[in-house]
Amino acid sequence: MFRNNYDNDSVTFSPQGRIFQVEYAAEAVKQGSVVVGIASKTHAVLVAIKRNAEELSSYQKKLFPIDEHVGIAIAGLTSDARVLSNFMKQQSLGHRLTYGRNMPVRTLVDMIGSKAQINTQHYGKRPYGVGLLVAGVDDHGPHLFEFQPSGMTEEMVAFAIGARSQMARTYLEKNLEAFADCGREELIRHGLKALKESLVQDRELTIDNTSVAIVGVEKQEDGTTKPQPFMVYDGQDVSAWIESVADNQEAAPAAAEGEGMDVDS
Amino acid sequence: MTSIGTGYDLANSIFSPDGRNFQVEYAMKAVENGSTSIGIRCKDGIVLAAEKVITSKLLKQGANKRIATVDRHLGIVYSGMIPDGRHFVDRARDEARGWRDNYKTPISTKDLAGRMGGYMQAYTLYQSVRPFGITAIIGGYDSELDTPVEGEVGSGPSVGAGGKVEGKKHGGPFLYMVEPSGLYWGYYGAATGKGRQAAKAELEKLDLSSDGESSLTLEQAVKEAARIIYVAHDDNKDKEFELEMTWISGADGPTKGRHQEVPEALRKEAEKYAERMTAKDIEEEEETKEGGDKMEE
Repeated sequence: MFRNNYDNDSVTFSPQGRIFQVEYAAEAVKQGSVVVGIASKTHAVLVAIKRNAEELSSYQKKLFPIDEHVGIAIAGLTSDARVLSNFMKQQSLGHRLTYGRNMPVRTLVDMIGSKAQINTQHYGKRPYGVGLLVAGVDDHGPHLFEFQPSGMTEEMVAFAIGARSQMARTYLEKNLEAFADCGREELIRHGLKALKESLVQDRELTIDNTSVAIVGVEKQEDGTTKPQPFMVYDGQDVSAWIESVADNQEAAPAAAEGEGMDVDS
Repeated sequence: MTSIGTGYDLANSIFSPDGRNFQVEYAMKAVENGSTSIGIRCKDGIVLAAEKVITSKLLKQGANKRIATVDRHLGIVYSGMIPDGRHFVDRARDEARGWRDNYKTPISTKDLAGRMGGYMQAYTLYQSVRPFGITAIIGGYDSELDTPVEGEVGSGPSVGAGGKVEGKKHGGPFLYMVEPSGLYWGYYGAATGKGRQAAKAELEKLDLSSDGESSLTLEQAVKEAARIIYVAHDDNKDKEFELEMTWISGADGPTKGRHQEVPEALRKEAEKYAERMTAKDIEEEEETKEGGDKMEE
C-alpha cells in the first residue's frame, strides 16, 4: 500500500513542504479547454476554444466581461469561475461607486488572489479548481494577468492555460518580441495562431468553437486616446478572423486588415 | 532531511512524543525551497532584497513585485509560498493601519514584528488551519524625530514615536525575521529561502553591528545586498533571475524615512558591482583549484 497520507486536505503539508490538494486543483485547470491571452501597448486580447458536451448541445462559454474595462478567460471548473466572476463584478462595481472611476486591474486581481489563498489554508475549504486569464485596461494601459488556484497571480505579456496549452505557450514565446507593437487585428491573429497550436489533430477553429475578446485604448485622429470597452465576439462575428489565420490564407493576411466584424461573408 | 513523523505529522497542532510539531517543520521546508530573500540593517538604514527566479519568458519584466510596503516606513520581503506571503502582508497592513487609528502614531518595527509573530503563531495552534509556508523579513525605520501626533492633546505622549524621553536614544533602523512557528528575532543581517546558507555566510563578513569607521553605509549595503543575492543564486539549478531591492533611510537620508524601491541607476550600479565581484570569486576559485592540482603532481 503506497497511499499518500498528505493529500486529503489543503491544511496538511507533506514532509517536502508541498500541499497536494492545491497541486491537484492546478490539474483541474489542465482539464479545461485552452485559452490564450496577449497584451500589447494598446490592447489586451483573450481568445478561447469552447467545448460542447455533445453534438447537439450548446458550447460552454469561456470569456466573461467583468466590467467595462476588464474581462476574464477561464479554464477548469466553470462553476468555480462563476463564483470568482461574480465576486470580481461586485468589487469592481463597488469601486466605481465609491471612487467614481475604474478599478485598477492589479487591485482586482490581487483581491481574487487573497480570496483563493484563504481556501488553501483553512480546513473544510477547497482550493478553486479554475485558472483565469484577466485582461483589462487602466491608467497604466493594457494588462494581462494569470490567476492560479493557489492564489498566485502574475502579470504576463502573453500566456495560455488549459489543455495542451504548452504548445500555445511555445508559440507565444517564439513571437514574444512582436506583441508590444501589435495593433488589435494583429494581436487577435497571434492569439488565434497560438490557439491553433494547441488543437487536437483534425480539429480546427470554427465560428462555433471560437471566442474572441478585446479591450484596449485606441488612439484617436486628434492624438487623444479613447478607451475601448471589453467586448466578446462569438459566432459569425469571428469568421473573418478565423479565415485570416486559415492555413491556406497564411500568405495573404492583408485581406483581413480592416474591421473584422464588418465583413459580410 | 528531517525525520518523518510516523503518524504525528498528519495534522497541525499535534505534538509528537518528543515535543515537536511536524507540520510546522514541513512548512519550513516550503520556505527552504523558495527563492532567496535578504535584509540588511546598517547604521543609517535598511536594505531589503529578493531574488526572483524567472519561471517563464512570458512573465512581464519588473511587473511582479515581491517586496511590499506595509506603512510608509515599513517593508516586508518573504520567501516560500507567495500567496501566503501576500496574505501576511495584507495582515501587516491591517495591523499598521489599526495601530495608527488607535495610537495616532506609526507602528514601530518591533511592535509590528510582535503582532505578526503572534499572527503566525496562531496558525500553529489549531487543526483547522495550516501554518504559513513563508519566512518574512520585516524592515523599518522608526522616526528619531519628535513628530507631532495627529490630534494630540496637550503635549502629546511622552514615549513612542511621537514623544521623547530625555537622554534616551529613540528610533532608528530595525530588522526582524519571522518564521512559520511564529518565532522572531531582531537581526543585523537576515537571509531566508533556498540560498540562505550562502547568503548568511556573506552577511557575517560584513561589519553591521559596530558604529565605527568600517561599518557599512546604506549605499554600500545596497551594493552588498545585490552581491549577496548574486552569490546565493545557483546558476546550475535555476534559470535567469531578476533582482528586486528596496531601502529605508532616516529622515535626513535619501528616502526621507520612507520605504522605497532602490532607484534604477543605483540598482544597475549595484548589479554591475555584483557581477564583477562574483566573476572575480569564480576566477579565484579556479586559480586555487589549479594550484592544488599542481601540488598533487
